[in-house]
Amino acid sequence: MTWLTWRQHRAQLITTAGLLIALGVLLLVSGREAAAYIAEHAPAGCPGPDLACGDLNAAIAERYNAIYTVYGWLPIGAPALIGAFWGAPLLGKEFERGTNKLAWTQAVSLRRWLGVKLALLAVAVMLGGLALSAMVSAWRPIFGDRGSFGNLGDFNMLGVAPAAWWLFAFMVGTAAGAVLRRTLPAMAVVVAVVSVVTFGLFSLSDHYAEPTRLVTADATATYTGDVRLVGKAWVDPTGTEMGSPPQGACPRGTDVGRANALQEAYERCLVDKGYRHVVYLHGPEQFWRFQWTDAAILFAGSLLLAGLTARRTTRRRA
Amino acid sequence: MLPVIEFHLNKASGVSTYLQLVHQVKHALRLGMLVPGDQLPTAREVVERLAINPNTVHKAYRELEREGLAMGRPGMGTFVQRSIGGAALVDHARLRSGLAAWVLEGRKAGLDQEDLNAIFSSVVVESFREETA
Amino acid sequence: MNNAVEATGLGVRYRRSWALRDCSLAVPAGRVVALVGPNGAGKTTLLHAVVGLLSPDQGRLTTSGEVAFMAQDKPLYGDFRVAEMLRFGRRLNPSWDGEIATERLATLGIPLKRKVSTLSGGEQAQVALVMALAKRPELLVLDEPLANLDPLARHDVMRALMTSVAERGLTVLISSHVVADLEDTCDWIVVLNRGRVQVSGDIESLRTEHLMLTGPVELADRLDATVIGASYTDRQATLLVRSAGTLDPRWIARQVTLDELVMGYLRSPEAAALPAPVVVQA
Repeated sequence: MTWLTWRQHRAQLITTAGLLIALGVLLLVSGREAAAYIAEHAPAGCPGPDLACGDLNAAIAERYNAIYTVYGWLPIGAPALIGAFWGAPLLGKEFERGTNKLAWTQAVSLRRWLGVKLALLAVAVMLGGLALSAMVSAWRPIFGDRGSFGNLGDFNMLGVAPAAWWLFAFMVGTAAGAVLRRTLPAMAVVVAVVSVVTFGLFSLSDHYAEPTRLVTADATATYTGDVRLVGKAWVDPTGTEMGSPPQGACPRGTDVGRANALQEAYERCLVDKGYRHVVYLHGPEQFWRFQWTDAAILFAGSLLLAGLTARRTTRRRA
Repeated sequence: MLPVIEFHLNKASGVSTYLQLVHQVKHALRLGMLVPGDQLPTAREVVERLAINPNTVHKAYRELEREGLAMGRPGMGTFVQRSIGGAALVDHARLRSGLAAWVLEGRKAGLDQEDLNAIFSSVVVESFREETA
Repeated sequence: MNNAVEATGLGVRYRRSWALRDCSLAVPAGRVVALVGPNGAGKTTLLHAVVGLLSPDQGRLTTSGEVAFMAQDKPLYGDFRVAEMLRFGRRLNPSWDGEIATERLATLGIPLKRKVSTLSGGEQAQVALVMALAKRPELLVLDEPLANLDPLARHDVMRALMTSVAERGLTVLISSHVVADLEDTCDWIVVLNRGRVQVSGDIESLRTEHLMLTGPVELADRLDATVIGASYTDRQATLLVRSAGTLDPRWIARQVTLDELVMGYLRSPEAAALPAPVVVQA
């Protein structure tokens, strides 16, 4: 079965390895080039969130625009591709070509056939995800401390997240192939499910831990950090928390379009009167806790999908 | 060693395959093409040429054994035991003339070739059926 | 002698109806069995149940020994080389005999390095057959093996099958909706009609038991026989009968061809020719 798994999936294995290597080389080369550029042009402490680094940040973004685009697309794109090309054809192609009637009438049982394939490919997929995470971790620091927790795209490319996402997407694809018995529709299902679950989990993550509660006069300083905003409120001079201040506490105009001046004036007035912002957020110290929680959920989901795949396949083999 | 006899099949004749094989052996014996001691083709050889069921070949050879014309030696093959003597040829001649007389009678009564064939086949089939019933 | 395949009251559902209903049959080992019936009768369903691709919803089905299967359309992995197909067989079957496989392919002139998808239909059929035979099965099941093959390829496939039967005495179960293809090679027949077994028995015995009668229509009522099928004109009756007793001399009797036998039963779905129940050994 080991040979068979390799032989039937070697195209996916080789292509994925090749793409990872290509990405690795691309990141390595551009990373070194960027480091050289920065060494030459950057003021101290840059690149980073400081105002002084603004010009440099813009220049870097422009220079490496193509890479940033690919990078931006990877958090959903990579798992979707894995699910579509590793997962969907596993069973989808067997049913479409009728080779299930050949494969499952040999001495090796269907359970063993499926079990070995899923186990070996799951391990391969997780290793691929870890490799991606390692490469991204190595490359990003060159571009300054952009933070790794607040932005969903960054978070899903670091730590154990890619491994968990690749495993989950693989299992979604396999299950879709088992249920739909065709490859293309299963691929579509993978893309849809991965997208929905990515945003779903991000929303759900608000509940992974008790949020930090900050009371401050200047809210914007908090949201521009590497944080995940959970909620906002106000606290009045007596210390009572409320969703929004009572009507009439301050004159309130309505901004037109993208202007913010009237809203800012309203908030300055409230602060002058003793009101304070309350911000509920998760800070970057939660990075690993959230990583492992995401991974646990995705892993549990993967096990359920593997069970569904096994059940659907053993019940109706042809 | 080449087999001494090659079988052929007439699918349209309506005669069972195994009987066709039996007849072909007997015919060869009568003409002297097969003599006692000759080995009949193995089931595998027949099957490779004709793509028929090997059980059919076994059945034919068992029939020949039953009539004492052949003998199977385990591990070696099936061999011709005796020839079909002249006596059988004499029987044939007698039966032919008897049948010719019947055919003449039938034609005088107004039956044509198809009618005669139909009656003849019917009687033959019934006769053999009574035997196995 | 044990049975290669035994089914009792076998039933398989398909969506809201039954693909197979109350099927019972017992095929002795060493036979070459023709499974015939119109399209949609349930032949593929029965074969899938025999090889374990389907679980019965009712009844029991047992097979003795190793089973090998050649599915309809003879599926193979198109992008594998012939040698890799053999490797597939070896890795997945402890009973695999690689020599049988390579010898047979060499005799047929099929190179091991060729990709399966580049082989002709007939060559692919031979490879699929080799995949099944090299497992050294006790029971070989084939679903419409002669479909989509040219006459030469058909003859080659049957020849390969019959040679294997001669060499190893395996039991073969072949389905087809064309009876003529199987007449010379099969010695047991199962007729499936609308999911039920109508006929199951030794072909020679069935042919001995049945007769095609033609005669005056007035005689049809007083016939000492079980009538399977009949057609009448004003004057003449043509009947397919079974277990005929003494016949009025005005009947013209002749032997039935296998085709006529099958057609006769298919046209009379209520009739059945099944072996008498056998005492089950404890």
